[in-house]
Amino acid sequence: MAAWRPSHRGRHRLDHYRAPEPDLLLGGHRTIFCNEFEKNQGFKFKGNSISTTKYNVLTFLPKGLFEQFRRVANLYFLMISILSATPVSPVNPITNVVPLTLVLSVSLIKEAFEDWKRFINDKAINGTAVEVLRDDRWKKLPWRRLRVGDIVKVNQDSFFPADLLFLASTNQDGICYVETANLDGETNLKIRKALERTWDYVDEERAKDFRGEIQCEQPNNSLYTFTGNLVIGKQTLPVTPNQLLLRGCSLRNTEYIVGVVVFTGHETKVMMNAMNVPSKRSTLERRLDKLILILFSVLFTMCLVGAICSGIFINRKYWYLGLTSDVEDQFNPGNRFLVASLAFLTFVTLFSPIIPISLYVSIEMIKFIQVTQFINKDLRMYHKDTKTPALARTSNLNEELGQVEYIFSDKTGTLTRNLMEFFKCSIGGVMYGTGVTEIEKGAARRNGTSMEEVESSKDFHEKYFNFEDDKLMKGAWRQEGSPELCKEFFRCLAICHTVLPEGDELPDKITYQAASPDEAALVTAAKMFGFFFFRRSPTTIKVRESHIEKIGRIQDVEYEILNVLEFNSTRKRQSVICRYPNGRLVLYCKGADSVIYERLNDRGNTFKDVNRDHLEYFGSAGLRTLCLAYRDLDINLYESWNEKFVQAKSALRDREKKLDEVAELIERDLVLLGCTAIEDKLQEGVPACIETLAKAGIKIWVLTGDKLETAINIAYACSLINNGMKQFIINSDTKEIREVEDRGDPIETAQMIERIVSKKLHDSLQQALDSERTQMGLELALIIDGRCLMHALDPQLRGTLLKLSMLCKAVVCCRVSPLQKAQVTSLIKDGAKKITLSIGDGANDVSMIQAAHIGVGISGMEGMQAVMASDFAIAQFRFLTELLLVHGRLSYIRISKVVCYFFYKNLMFTLTQFWFNLYTGFSGQRFYDDWYQSLYNVVFTALPVIIVGIFDKDVSIANARKYPQLYKAGIENAFFKWRILIVWALSAVYQSIILFYFPAKAIMEGKNGSGRMLGLWDAGTMAFTCVVVTVNVRLLMACNFVTKWHLISIFGSILAWFIFAFLYSGIRNQLDRQGNVYKVIFIIMGTWYFWLLIVLVPICSLALDFCYEGLQRWFAPCDYQIIQEVEKREGSPVDGFLLVESPRLSAEEQTSIALAQLPREMSRHTGYSFDSPCFDSFFASQEGVSMSHRSYDIARRASMRGPRRLSSDAGQDSPLYL
Amino acid sequence: MSSARLKARQREFMVRLLIAKSPGFGLDLFQLSEFVEMNSRGASTSGGNDTSAVRKDSKKPKSSAFTQQELPACKPLLTPRWVITIFMLVGVVFIPIGVAALLASRTVVEIIDEYQTACIPSTYTNNEQRVEFIQNVTTEKHCSRPLQVSKLMKGPVYVYYQLDNFYQNHRRYVKSRSDEQLLDGNATDTDACKPEQMLGGLPIVPCGLIAWSLFNDTYNISTGGQQITINKTGISWKSDREHKFGKVYPQNFPNNLPSNENGSLIGGASLDENTPLNEDEDLIVWMRTAALPTFRKLYGKIEQDLAAGSSLNVTINNVYNTYSFGGKKKLVLSTTSWLGGKNDFLGVAYITVGSLCVSLALVFFLVHWRNPRPLGDTKYLSWNRPASAN
Repeated sequence: MAAWRPSHRGRHRLDHYRAPEPDLLLGGHRTIFCNEFEKNQGFKFKGNSISTTKYNVLTFLPKGLFEQFRRVANLYFLMISILSATPVSPVNPITNVVPLTLVLSVSLIKEAFEDWKRFINDKAINGTAVEVLRDDRWKKLPWRRLRVGDIVKVNQDSFFPADLLFLASTNQDGICYVETANLDGETNLKIRKALERTWDYVDEERAKDFRGEIQCEQPNNSLYTFTGNLVIGKQTLPVTPNQLLLRGCSLRNTEYIVGVVVFTGHETKVMMNAMNVPSKRSTLERRLDKLILILFSVLFTMCLVGAICSGIFINRKYWYLGLTSDVEDQFNPGNRFLVASLAFLTFVTLFSPIIPISLYVSIEMIKFIQVTQFINKDLRMYHKDTKTPALARTSNLNEELGQVEYIFSDKTGTLTRNLMEFFKCSIGGVMYGTGVTEIEKGAARRNGTSMEEVESSKDFHEKYFNFEDDKLMKGAWRQEGSPELCKEFFRCLAICHTVLPEGDELPDKITYQAASPDEAALVTAAKMFGFFFFRRSPTTIKVRESHIEKIGRIQDVEYEILNVLEFNSTRKRQSVICRYPNGRLVLYCKGADSVIYERLNDRGNTFKDVNRDHLEYFGSAGLRTLCLAYRDLDINLYESWNEKFVQAKSALRDREKKLDEVAELIERDLVLLGCTAIEDKLQEGVPACIETLAKAGIKIWVLTGDKLETAINIAYACSLINNGMKQFIINSDTKEIREVEDRGDPIETAQMIERIVSKKLHDSLQQALDSERTQMGLELALIIDGRCLMHALDPQLRGTLLKLSMLCKAVVCCRVSPLQKAQVTSLIKDGAKKITLSIGDGANDVSMIQAAHIGVGISGMEGMQAVMASDFAIAQFRFLTELLLVHGRLSYIRISKVVCYFFYKNLMFTLTQFWFNLYTGFSGQRFYDDWYQSLYNVVFTALPVIIVGIFDKDVSIANARKYPQLYKAGIENAFFKWRILIVWALSAVYQSIILFYFPAKAIMEGKNGSGRMLGLWDAGTMAFTCVVVTVNVRLLMACNFVTKWHLISIFGSILAWFIFAFLYSGIRNQLDRQGNVYKVIFIIMGTWYFWLLIVLVPICSLALDFCYEGLQRWFAPCDYQIIQEVEKREGSPVDGFLLVESPRLSAEEQTSIALAQLPREMSRHTGYSFDSPCFDSFFASQEGVSMSHRSYDIARRASMRGPRRLSSDAGQDSPLYL
Repeated sequence: MSSARLKARQREFMVRLLIAKSPGFGLDLFQLSEFVEMNSRGASTSGGNDTSAVRKDSKKPKSSAFTQQELPACKPLLTPRWVITIFMLVGVVFIPIGVAALLASRTVVEIIDEYQTACIPSTYTNNEQRVEFIQNVTTEKHCSRPLQVSKLMKGPVYVYYQLDNFYQNHRRYVKSRSDEQLLDGNATDTDACKPEQMLGGLPIVPCGLIAWSLFNDTYNISTGGQQITINKTGISWKSDREHKFGKVYPQNFPNNLPSNENGSLIGGASLDENTPLNEDEDLIVWMRTAALPTFRKLYGKIEQDLAAGSSLNVTINNVYNTYSFGGKKKLVLSTTSWLGGKNDFLGVAYITVGSLCVSLALVFFLVHWRNPRPLGDTKYLSWNRPASAN
């Protein structure tokens, strides 16, 4: 029987989470007639072509425009444009239409370009050829022609074109190997096995005769579930995910397979999973909205003042205005209220440039460049070993990176390498392994004692194996106290796993394809101990056993694998039932200490307590532990159990649940063998990075599924916690809680824990506050475990927890579920309103990554899920320094500057018009020509600010890293505070006054020797020239970093204005509707007055800003300004990194290179044994399931095992985390 | 298929999936191009061994000063020294310019005579009566104003009229013209001219409020019984005459109607129907609307010197109605300098800004001298300051 399947993490977890879709339960399944297209026609299945484009030729314009006008700013300008086409408008509609059109076309072109790329991709995918059975022959057809029910042939290394039901393969036993890297990033091969009944439909003669009816669930996005039946003739065969080949996977090590198309196109599971990551907006952008709102209210005020005055001003006495009885409403003195109302609209159109229309598009462009050119191309964030550059998956959050205050980090794979090495073990109560972990060394260093360095005498270092103990190696275990136990221990290691061997069946050639590195480490360990697992068939495992009867004797033993009880997050254990050649039936089990200990038999296990001590020791040394146990089975017992098992396995509904329950029946009365300890290596540069980040004022929280001890030790090793800190430990694993637990009443336990947590929290908070008062500078750390956290996150205690954690420099949460990771993140994000960043590598971090303001995924080694959910992907934790301190900080400074500048320049521009209107009888007359006004934002002042947004750099990158404290300015939001904005606003008011009154005042008399007078448009053009010069030079003043591009763009913009002015007013053209400014520029440039003003006005306007900036730097210098001065004095440090890849390597680099040179196995994944329970949250969140549901779901799953004890929503059941 | 190519294909597929998933903005595209490039390069090198090297290259970001944000740049620092220097510099440059401008303004001799009240018989005491007076066609409106030339006024002496409280920049007023019509006479669209658009069903040329309200006070200047010619040519900008006004003859101009003669009702001037608009410089000057409600317009030029101490007699035909809205009327005789008319504003502004800068520079210099701040002193860094300061 096909009892075993390769385990992939999460398959079960997913089913547990996913409530069966109602229609599936009610029989809303699809029926597919294989190879009979006519019969399928009635069902109207979708075709196999996919389209990921947003638009097509017809919908592009309407849909694209609709998308654009969903932005408030664009909609506002649309309204203004419409308004400006009415008679109330003082300006030509051009004024508002031109900028709007430019902005829209930039956005639309971008959209179109992206969509076009998508279209090309789709086309390529849809056009891929696949062999399909048509007219009884294999025919090459493009993927898009596939229909549900078609029989297809997929060759080796090809991708499956749709979700297929696996019928037959060229491999014996109807198996095939698939690679699922595109789905979950796991590169290890998975085995799929066809139903025995269909094995021989492998060639076209047979395949064309295949007729069958598939009844299966409706398309859904759960990658790891599939329920259905295949009806052939009268036979109904259950179909499992094991027979399903998913689109996006590829076929390996198999010549070809034959399958039936079940789901096509957008209904395939991978496509149904392809959803957009919910887009996040940065805090700065939300503040920007507030700013825009303020601008709106300024606009409103200005319009209101203007409108009221306009109503008062209008009077028939101004006969030259022709206000006779039949005057239109907007000037009719007879109805002043109407005049005021219409004047309001007039002013709205006139002052509309106060809202910076090009702001959003400019910011988008800046961020796009920051992302594509800087973050993605930063060599400092390029990881050579995995050849992974950093990847920003969104450009919305660049500046948010500069304001992060809290980092929530996963441990495994993020802080640690997720490189597992078999390090120690304990068999029958005796501990083996002489190695000393980094953590122990670190602990020793901290305690001041130095550990004896046991130099490894080995000249060969086996991957996954870093074990040194002569008592066990080379058969020496036979001399130990309990060789029988040792033998079982090793057999358990060699048999109880889901590893696939690959390559030659020789100990030094073979590679193991394992679902988790822990497993590979364990199997490798078995190999090293003389139990070399070398071949697996669906029903057997072959082990080459050495030294069993006597040292040096080698024999191949074939174990028949009867059942595999897979690992999942709730079971936390994995069992294999095997039959020895001599007929002995044994169940080998490995799993979490907590689950194994529950299931031990009462007799025998004498070393239980010793073993527990060892477990704790290993745990505190930062090692990952697993308990091993076995059970001899009676054949009758087994047979009766197996019946139930088979039943459960073929159940259509709740199969997983039933399987769990059945497994529960046999996994008991175990005999303890011992435990293994695997070392989880720290990532490169983690402690240094954490120290740097801490200096930058960032608080780092470690959220891990690990044990309390491991977590604390990792925190120590990462220099997150040190002995100088006061630690508050809130732990559920205490004696009193255990005692209550033993009584078996979960409600009582829960209440107990709640009481304790509440008390501890309040006490700790009190102490924390006290120490805050009395002992300056005492740093605090909080360590809390998942169970306590569940209570601490209760609404009543939440506030206390928040207060306490805010006082702590470091917080470690251990044994937390993915959901809790997200809850903790949200606690800080929503409760403390701080900017949070979550970093993780595994599927279990997805919820946390999505919950935080910024999600960072570790790329390059792990599955794709974390990366897929993340906003930024980096290869190493240590790159956070670069990402935050350099890119984040710079982006924040740049974007702040850009926004402030936009605010200033538009406010100033509009104010000049306002001042002018005080002298026009509040009529809403424009001071500048229509085109000046429309091009002001999009041409004359557009480019320089983008250049500044791209290039501005206050201190050199090397110094940004050298002085991490500079980052604090971002946390304090020092560059985008209201104070800063007010300074800009005051400067805008001052400048606008100068810019209006100076030209206007000076114009009173004849302006050259000819005594001729200048008029309105001369003054307007004059003032506008001054405005353009002033705002551009102001920007130059704001630059810390002036490249030639700055100069080119700034002076280019000023030049552009002059060129425009010459062309526009020099040539009589249709654009100048009234010929108002015709020749104006030449007239004014012919006067001295012009030249004197163009020097005086900008200098006079900018003098105040200049003075302010000078004094500020002089008397209250910001940190970055001091560093600038240091740089000036000392020259900026040369960033050695850029020179070349330096020949000198640091010790760290050497290690990392050495590691990289080891035979690399791409499969590295969150060790199921330690890292936490499930990654269903990823899918759950995509389905829009709210968090609260999930929390109970996990708890409920955990409680399902035991007798029903507690209402599920109390969620107090003991969640079992390793 | 070589494993390298296989990997490449696989990656490409992954990228395509990514595209389907990632939220817009084309980052993925950027990635894609890299991968595709990698793929094609991988494919072109058929040998299996060197593909890995190629792949490495293509995934490694290309290093450039731009992408690594190390472009050569100057980093201006606003140190106290610079602040002082720049202020000093501005002061040093501005004060002479200011002095020059002020001197230029001072050389200008200007005579201003406000006549709107004086030119109305004193029996009309309040505004209503004055309006009544000005609107009465029959009353005699000439008045005589004696002016004293206190300083020598070298010719040409410019004659201006100055109006006050006259909103030539009012939105309704500014747009009330048709430049097209002014240039070629037969504009189709003269909507903007409302309400002075049509007269008796025929289009008004020149239409609009501006032309209609043309200033029509006239001045005759004599000295010692001798007429001084006021040259009325060349008082408008050449570009206006040549490019904005064409050989268009006034038609249906409301002020020309007999019943409305001399703008009896309100005061706008009539236009000579035989003079084309581009020769009617008074109109051209008037139609270059002023920026502010108080404005001067050039009336004419006296091409001779006016000796100091000579007395002028100005006969004003005071017909323009500024009395309705309480506006002042002034006659201005002025010479010019290189800078223009008499206007101290620029000079004063330059001198003020200049001296402010100099004094700021001095103050800063003193402060800096007495109490210098060492540059780049890390003890001022916020994290190095004593905790109490935080």
